[in-house]
Amino acid sequence: LDHGYALHTAAKDCLSSVLSQDVQIPAERPRAVFYTNETDPANHTEQHEGRHYSIPLEEVKAVFPHGLPYRFQQQVKTFNEACLMVRKPALELLTYLKNSNFAHPAVRYVIYGERGTGKTMTLCHVVHYCARQGWLVLHIPDAHLWVKNCKELMQSSYKKERLDQPLQASSWLKNFKTSNEHFLKEIKTQQKYVWGKRESTEQGRPLGEVVEQGLARVRSASDAVGVVLKEIKQQCHLGSFRVLVAVDGVNALWGRTTLKKEDKSPVSPEELTLVYNLRKMMMNNWNGGAIVTTLSQTGSLFKPSSAYLPHELLGKEGFDALDPFVPVLVPNYSQREFESCYHYYLHRKWLQHEQARTEAGKEELRFLSGSNPQQLERLAGPL
Amino acid sequence: TLRLIYTTTAAWKKNVAASGPEKYTEAFIKKQIEEFNLGKRHLANMMGEDPETFTQEDIDRAIAYLFPSGLFDKRARPMMKHPTEIFPEQRKIQWGEDGRPFHFLFYTGKQSYYSLMHDTYEKLLNVQKHQDQLAAQDLPPQKEKKNLVGSRWLTKTELEEMLLEKLSDDDYSRFIQLLQKLVMMPCGNIEENYIKKFSREISAQLQKVVIEPLKYDEQGVAFSTGEGARKTSRATVTVYDNGTGKITVNGIDVLHYFPVLQDREQLLFPFQFLDRVGKHDMVCTVSGGGRSSQAGAIRLASAKALRSFVTEKEVESMRQAGLLTVDPRVKERKKPGQEGARRKFTWKKR
Repeated sequence: LDHGYALHTAAKDCLSSVLSQDVQIPAERPRAVFYTNETDPANHTEQHEGRHYSIPLEEVKAVFPHGLPYRFQQQVKTFNEACLMVRKPALELLTYLKNSNFAHPAVRYVIYGERGTGKTMTLCHVVHYCARQGWLVLHIPDAHLWVKNCKELMQSSYKKERLDQPLQASSWLKNFKTSNEHFLKEIKTQQKYVWGKRESTEQGRPLGEVVEQGLARVRSASDAVGVVLKEIKQQCHLGSFRVLVAVDGVNALWGRTTLKKEDKSPVSPEELTLVYNLRKMMMNNWNGGAIVTTLSQTGSLFKPSSAYLPHELLGKEGFDALDPFVPVLVPNYSQREFESCYHYYLHRKWLQHEQARTEAGKEELRFLSGSNPQQLERLAGPL
Repeated sequence: TLRLIYTTTAAWKKNVAASGPEKYTEAFIKKQIEEFNLGKRHLANMMGEDPETFTQEDIDRAIAYLFPSGLFDKRARPMMKHPTEIFPEQRKIQWGEDGRPFHFLFYTGKQSYYSLMHDTYEKLLNVQKHQDQLAAQDLPPQKEKKNLVGSRWLTKTELEEMLLEKLSDDDYSRFIQLLQKLVMMPCGNIEENYIKKFSREISAQLQKVVIEPLKYDEQGVAFSTGEGARKTSRATVTVYDNGTGKITVNGIDVLHYFPVLQDREQLLFPFQFLDRVGKHDMVCTVSGGGRSSQAGAIRLASAKALRSFVTEKEVESMRQAGLLTVDPRVKERKKPGQEGARRKFTWKKR
């Protein structure tokens, strides 16, 4: 059934796709139609829409030390390969990035959509592309982690009213180190930074030292993060490297927090060093890169679960801060994408139930999941 | 004697007619009738209607208006009816002033029953004589049999009411056998009038559920509606043809309205049963109840709507699968002396 269906859709593809690309299709036929051998996101076009491409596992560890959603990480571990579907919003973003002029101020892209439609995965796709292209990637996996559930809040040594979060800052620095090793040696500090009585970083030292400092002295980790961001912002307009700021759950930066100071008064996001520095990064007063963000309702605080539009989740403050931006909507799976995902699971023998392999089973899955990627993934789990 | 416990309330109704000679004298009944008529005219005057054309329905409405009652049992509410309906028929005293009974079969004990049997047997003999006459004249006997299919004989209680005296099962069965024998005979049609007194028509077949035909809206898409209920929820559904399986509930997408998988599976069931999972679109409105009962209500409504799209055999199979039956389960009432409907209070030994 699989091969018959594969042939049928391959025939349809032949008719509808661009003629020049025709030659590629027969070469890809040995694998099922819903895969593509093109592992470089730079070459992904509309022809690859709806197909899965795999990322080698070492790259996954290097590029996404902390970026992928938890369930996807489990899936990667189970299947022993990381396969990402190429979808239209991601392709749109990639074309924008390819055609963007880096002399202009950084453009902000906001990926939004209902719950479980694949915003984080789109972001990861873009991050992978930029990593392949050799950009410096500042990937914050979930900004919501910085505004809630913080065990240690310290008063910042740099500015009295601000609060530090050593744990989150140090974990982020660690992951930043693994993802952008070679940049840390290239970029040099342009200023002297004093961390305490005995520690300081001279001007002209590689940024790696700042990161080491932050990791070693956890108390000053948040300040180290601030320094890293400032340096990158100052130097990226020189043009030696491009910067991608990828933030997941950007609405956390402008919402409320669940943290409280010692006198039980609520903390507003500006009072957190990490958030403050990140907000400066999100301004479009620098050029030579792009800012891609995702809105997330799942981790958001004090927002109704039916909210998914930018102005609802960002609030007035956030919307004004991010305005103007390019919104990118991520919808549920289309017919093709659903079929592709279904056949992928079938191919990897994830759907074990006999009825799941029939047409009726596929229709049932489509109905019950409502073509929502998250629902489909959860449904396919027990089968 | 056995005292029946597990029977219907109908079996407990006292057959006042057969219990004994009259408790109400004839004069009493006549007076009641006069009073009733007078009262009827007074009531008509009170309501401002015409006393001459004041029917029983008007009386009922007037009484319900003047004496509103919230009692559940209709028989307990105030009523004004003709005395013959209120005071049941009774046997008049069957012996004269000198003590001699009027009827010749009085001393059998069941005089009306035996007189009935007597008359019926007489008719039987008549028929036999008629038959012999026809046979003697060498004419073929008339074979127009009365159709017994749509009629039934009187039940025992009905016969008792007619005869105003108690019968035993044995008596009743003997009478019915006699009637059967009368009808079975070739020339039984002569006595048709007599037999009609003892048979009742069974009403026409159980109302067949009418399946509505498909309606077509502006674009020419076929659609049909259905209604369903479960516990306290009420749902109305329109199922459109040529669809993709999109479902909207109260203007909200089904994934948002029913985040639980179980509810969506309930919605899936009718379509999956008919193998039409991705072929129809559905727009529903639902109110009342909780999430599970709303899902059940929509399921019933969609099954009813799908009947118009589907052959009769499939409708029958849906009915057998239980897709078209209203779920009668409702919340059971809490009883006094117990904590809930079934749960009793904690039992303390002392």
